Amino acid sequence: MSEKISITATINGVQHTATVEPRRSLVDFLRHDLGLVGTHVGCEHGVCGACTVMLDGRTVRSCLLFAAQADGSEVTTIEGIGTDEALHPLQVAFQQHHALQCGFCTPGMILAALELLRDNADPSDEEIRVGLSGNLCMCTGYVNIVRAVRAAARDGNVR
Amino acid sequence: MSTQAKWVGQALERAEDRTLLTRGGHFIDDLTLPGVAHAAYVRSPHARAKIRHIDASRALDHPGVYAVVTGEDVAQFTRPQRGRVPLPNSPRVYAVAYEQVRYVGEPVVGIAAVDRATAEDAADLVQVEYESLPPVLDPEEALKPDAPLVFEEIGSNVLWHDTFPYGDVEAAFANADLVVNERVTIHRYSSTPLETFGVMARYEPATHSFTIWGHTQQPAQDLHVLAAAFGVSPGQIRLIIPPMGGSFGNKVRPLFIIAAALLARKAGRPVKWIEDRRESLLALGHAADGIMDMSAAVKADGRVLAIKFRNIENEGAGIDFAGRHNLLMLSNIANCYRLGAISYEGYSVVTNRCPVVANRGIGKPFMCFAVERMIDAVARTLNLDRAEIRYRNFIQPEAFPYDTPSGQTYDSGNYPEMLRKALALVDYDSLRREQAKGREEGRLLGIGIATAVEPGGSNLAYGMLISGPSQLLSGQGEAARVRLETDGTATVFTGGLDSGQGHATALAQIVADELGLNVKQVRVPTTFDSASHPYVMTSGVYSNKFHGHDTVAAIGAARKVREKLLQRAGAQLEANVADLELNDGRIFIRGAPQKGITIAQVASRAYWSLADEQPDGEPGLEALYYYSNPLANRPDDKKRVRVQLGFASAAHVAVVEVDPETFEIKILRYVVIHDCGRQINPGIVEGQVHGATAHGIAAALFEEFTYDENGQLLTTSFMDYLKPTAADLPDIEGDRLETPSPLTLLGTKGVGEGGAVVAPAAIASAVEDALLPLGIHISALPITPSRLFEAVSSGMKLYEKRK
Repeated sequence: MSEKISITATINGVQHTATVEPRRSLVDFLRHDLGLVGTHVGCEHGVCGACTVMLDGRTVRSCLLFAAQADGSEVTTIEGIGTDEALHPLQVAFQQHHALQCGFCTPGMILAALELLRDNADPSDEEIRVGLSGNLCMCTGYVNIVRAVRAAARDGNVR
Repeated sequence: MSTQAKWVGQALERAEDRTLLTRGGHFIDDLTLPGVAHAAYVRSPHARAKIRHIDASRALDHPGVYAVVTGEDVAQFTRPQRGRVPLPNSPRVYAVAYEQVRYVGEPVVGIAAVDRATAEDAADLVQVEYESLPPVLDPEEALKPDAPLVFEEIGSNVLWHDTFPYGDVEAAFANADLVVNERVTIHRYSSTPLETFGVMARYEPATHSFTIWGHTQQPAQDLHVLAAAFGVSPGQIRLIIPPMGGSFGNKVRPLFIIAAALLARKAGRPVKWIEDRRESLLALGHAADGIMDMSAAVKADGRVLAIKFRNIENEGAGIDFAGRHNLLMLSNIANCYRLGAISYEGYSVVTNRCPVVANRGIGKPFMCFAVERMIDAVARTLNLDRAEIRYRNFIQPEAFPYDTPSGQTYDSGNYPEMLRKALALVDYDSLRREQAKGREEGRLLGIGIATAVEPGGSNLAYGMLISGPSQLLSGQGEAARVRLETDGTATVFTGGLDSGQGHATALAQIVADELGLNVKQVRVPTTFDSASHPYVMTSGVYSNKFHGHDTVAAIGAARKVREKLLQRAGAQLEANVADLELNDGRIFIRGAPQKGITIAQVASRAYWSLADEQPDGEPGLEALYYYSNPLANRPDDKKRVRVQLGFASAAHVAVVEVDPETFEIKILRYVVIHDCGRQINPGIVEGQVHGATAHGIAAALFEEFTYDENGQLLTTSFMDYLKPTAADLPDIEGDRLETPSPLTLLGTKGVGEGGAVVAPAAIASAVEDALLPLGIHISALPITPSRLFEAVSSGMKLYEKRK
């Protein structure tokens, strides 16, 4: 096995320095090395979107990146989006509209929705559906997810 | 009935959500143990082969590898799998292939290592020598006398075959004005939970006991399957089921748990295995593919008198669900219709495909598809409108409770009103006008209708139709324990599990009503633990059973606690129990609300003050209740049995447009009128209807496991196995009809599977209607643009099973 490499990244506002195997994926680094298990693994081939995180402000598939590629970057995961005391408006909308069932896709879906609303504060239903089409949900049929994102956009508090 | 329906009926936000939203919940891969090893499997590249030799020495020598398990080990340390329904002539199936492989992806060697990557590295070092044999893949081929045998020890590829004559079918055919014949097929697909299968196993040699964290939907049955495999007492296995990231009938593979447990035993440390997506698509399990031949006896006015069915189900290379697709189809074989007589012949056939599992609705999507295709065929033959043919055959609202020929008791419903509401919502008459106008302009618009029963709660005595009356397993029920805590809140434990249906929220609503608590004062743990949760052998989350079993068990336990609580309060208030009221966390004397005591005060004394006189003879405020559904019967001498115990219903109307050049199918509208009786939480119910309907639409238009002629699965990623995205699915509109069940305590009926049962039929009906100008008849799924194009351009009049 090739030598481990040292990386430094800011994860949810906290700077972390770690040594990782070159083949360590970003999602395994987040989950197993940092204990940030809110980012989920659904397919490991970049289709399902469950592992979606923000890298320097844009969504990425953390299963398709190596941890080493996050060196010097800022990463935001679901744990950096809202807290129990102060839910993010998208989290509030998802809860109010029953936009989750098993919840496995939800962290990735929230991050995808956040990017969507940052890019387009007032999307149509069609734009919401296209904007979320990189994230699979096996439970909801997407109906209530679309409603929740629409409601969050209408409230206008998403940053 | 419930004392006060303050919380039941409200679309409350779910108690489960906050953890999922802020930190992603607590799924199995989020758990770990000190020193845990990680497993990987060498899997069969052949659909059928003899294992000549396995050399795992290089893998064992690989740094970081703790243990290797082969078929020789499983044959030495475990007994062959006991099927959920024991077969009279059962093949021998082990957790890892023994001497032979029977499908591509079957585990052949298990490896436990310091991490998953190392385990996978070591798997590459294992050398397996196979003698490849010709596979059998098609169930009709498998029935031929010279077909290769999947399990040589049973002498044929038929696991089970039987006939069920219900009523005087021949008289009905003699009385018919015409006979309509149909052959339809269903393909292999799966609801593919987003979280794959997972297990973590720990073995304690001193007591020869196992602690298992893992996935199942039937914890008590799987616990006993594990105990039988290892030859230990059920008490030597502790089974812990964390919340699952979806399951849909798929995560019922005790063989995967046995393999991990054996690895843990050999490695001398805990072992964790999280299936990857390729493994999941290859080997977790598929819904059975099947072939149905039907013949209907019909009067000239469209009344269907009787239908003969002959079904061949392809069970793949497993025994876990042997015969169960077939038998569960007896629950919706009459669907919504007054069929006087029915005959059914079912085959369960093994082939060299992946074993089947109980995917959402198990068997019933195919039966609904078959009956609804037949009803549409009768309408087409008689040139009747598709709504009209249904009105002429519906069981009428005054006929409930209604017994069907196969022995089901339909509890309640109003099928004509259900369809009327659906047609009104889409404005059916103007749609038909738009369709006619569109056809003149070359547009291919279609309106599909499917009406269906959605069975809920299976009576596991149906297995006696396979294994005989001596089968122990029967009935349906659930267990619950309610504990009042010293602070006056309540905790509810059941044998149910969490795979996303919001059951913790629904149970909290029910128990809060029973105990006069705020819903937020009732907590329901979402992790099942066999060491603390009560269970009966039918426990779990499956077959739409929650509505009439988990609910009643929780109510039973809550009422027992309430009785104990009131007795204690009466003693402390020096009042008769009959004069007491319970509300808002307080017990008080009726008419004198100032004279009262809080639940917390009574509960505190019950646990702390053991020197008190105990009015009910024991301290504490906790009660256990086991419920068994009295409707559950045994098969009678005519093979009639209530296979399922409650009957929700729905009408689906799909409006589609097919592009005449590309054959792209666009869903313009999708409407569901749904009747699951009284709703505990309409927000949760609506989500279940959406999600199940989406599964059904996906099965009809997108998803298919395809094999090549060698038995290689060609769809082993989400690039090839097409899951619909938000951009692919329509908005699902709808409304509810509410005919409460007179046979359940709360008036509830099942919900959750229904949409997946009905939608494939509605989509097929809509596409066939759109293609009416081309005269193409839909008898198979999924309906894809490329295959439609092939059918049309080759001049075929039948869209049929892929060759």
